[in-house]
Amino acid sequence: MIRGPLKTALTAAVLLFGTAAANAHPHVWVTVKSELVFAADGTVEAVRHAWTFDEMFSAFATQGLDTDKDGKLTREELAELAQTNVDSLKEFGYFSFGKSGGKDVTFGEPKDYWLEADKDNVLTLHFTLPVAAKPAKGEMTVDVYDPTWFVDFSFAEKDPVALANAPAGCTVDVKGPDEASTAPTNLSESFFNNLTASSQFGSQFASRVSLRCR
Amino acid sequence: MRIFRRPGAIVLALVLIAVAGAVFAADVFAQGAPFGAKPAAPPPSGFAGWVLAEQAKFFRALSAAIREAKADGSAAYGLFWLSFLYGAFHAAGPGHGKAVISAYLVADGATIPRGIALSAAAAFVQALSAIALVGIAALLLGATARAMGETVRWLEIGAYTLIIVFGLLLAWRKGQAFLRSFVAWRTGKPAPERADHDHDHHAHDHSHGHGHDLDHDHCGHAHGPELEDLKGRGWLKRGLAAVFAVGIRPCSGAILVLAFALSQGIFLVGVASTFAMAVGTAITVAVIAILAVVAKDVATRLAAGSNGAGMVAIRGLEFAGALVVILLGVLLITGLIASERMFPV
Repeated sequence: MIRGPLKTALTAAVLLFGTAAANAHPHVWVTVKSELVFAADGTVEAVRHAWTFDEMFSAFATQGLDTDKDGKLTREELAELAQTNVDSLKEFGYFSFGKSGGKDVTFGEPKDYWLEADKDNVLTLHFTLPVAAKPAKGEMTVDVYDPTWFVDFSFAEKDPVALANAPAGCTVDVKGPDEASTAPTNLSESFFNNLTASSQFGSQFASRVSLRCR
Repeated sequence: MRIFRRPGAIVLALVLIAVAGAVFAADVFAQGAPFGAKPAAPPPSGFAGWVLAEQAKFFRALSAAIREAKADGSAAYGLFWLSFLYGAFHAAGPGHGKAVISAYLVADGATIPRGIALSAAAAFVQALSAIALVGIAALLLGATARAMGETVRWLEIGAYTLIIVFGLLLAWRKGQAFLRSFVAWRTGKPAPERADHDHDHHAHDHSHGHGHDLDHDHCGHAHGPELEDLKGRGWLKRGLAAVFAVGIRPCSGAILVLAFALSQGIFLVGVASTFAMAVGTAITVAVIAILAVVAKDVATRLAAGSNGAGMVAIRGLEFAGALVVILLGVLLITGLIASERMFPV
């Protein structure tokens, strides 16, 4: 007879527990432009990101930073914020998830980072993520997303990706959230298995940069 | 009510509670399983992409409305309407506030007026919290986003601690009541109710038509709406604790709207828009709270016909509600469930 209350307790707990945890919706929108930078040996040595924030978040983030009160935000005024950004991004793996030859590509500490504000004080964060270990030659993907989906990343419509110092025969393209998660046909089996095993909530909204070299 | 006079009928009540839970779990924006379980693949039609695009559009409309309100004061009405919708839809996704209020209502005297009052008060406190944060920190002190983020973090720790303490107190009360009802059921004697157990003992004179005369231990009366329900000091104290525990942490959406309005030099329009948001939030949370109340009411009615066992089930349900409040607090304070986060600043 104790089953009644016990069952009730469990039902209530599971429901509330589950629902509270499923709470995810973005508050910040980021428009991404990325560049794959190649080393002399033809492997990718870094990912150069330029992330443009939505205007509401930009207004929040730049609060109190216009120290000379001229209404314009200089790179110097934004330097401290840029530093904080890259420092705290480490905890989130820079929201950048690289794969090459079926293995994770890990990234080192960001280099060359700065924030710039446009005429409407909309912020763009520039930073370069060096790869920690050399990825396989000629094949690499980078997903940019927030697994918990509090930040929404999407690639820019115009020139979303570029290659720097790439060897001949390399092409890169970007697939949006739906294509990236439903059309993995040109990826190796092991890659896809890896993705599935480690993917989290936000990954279905990931945009993927795919590099192919002949 | 004869058909319900068996303990097994409690299962029916559970189903109803599950339905209520599912309704407030139904977040159109959250299609995946929690805790890193494999998310459902988006349908080929690109539903995920569509939801994304719609949300992004909505947020852009909100910021565009603030810009318009700057140029033309009458455009502010459009902004208020959008803010109201934002509050209503944003609150439709499950968040800790709704979970705590619903769990509290299940645990403690659940009535519809209490549910509405709690939801409205929590939404109002949350609006004030966001206005105070951006108003004092950004407008008066010229604080940075980082300082504001840290303030929010402290408010969070305070709020989550309050949720845990509140849940513990509630569990202590409800655990005792549960034990008493269990003992009463096993020994066949009616459970003695303690004087401080303010379980709506007033207004017994009206008939509920659910086997009241057999129900000697006065199990969980869930009355219809009446002002009397909002009285009772013990309840009020606990209700206020719930309101503060839920409302202290400002919502990120409100902070963003306020910060953007401030950057456009129309902070007061942002304040009004935050209140419009709170009205929307209050309505949605109240609907969820009412569902929790109705579910418990039905469970109580079913239990009323089933002698001691049903009573034990209801007390168990209340105790579970209190435990869920503690659980939510612990998960929130340890960061196992994130309430809200912006881009790291």
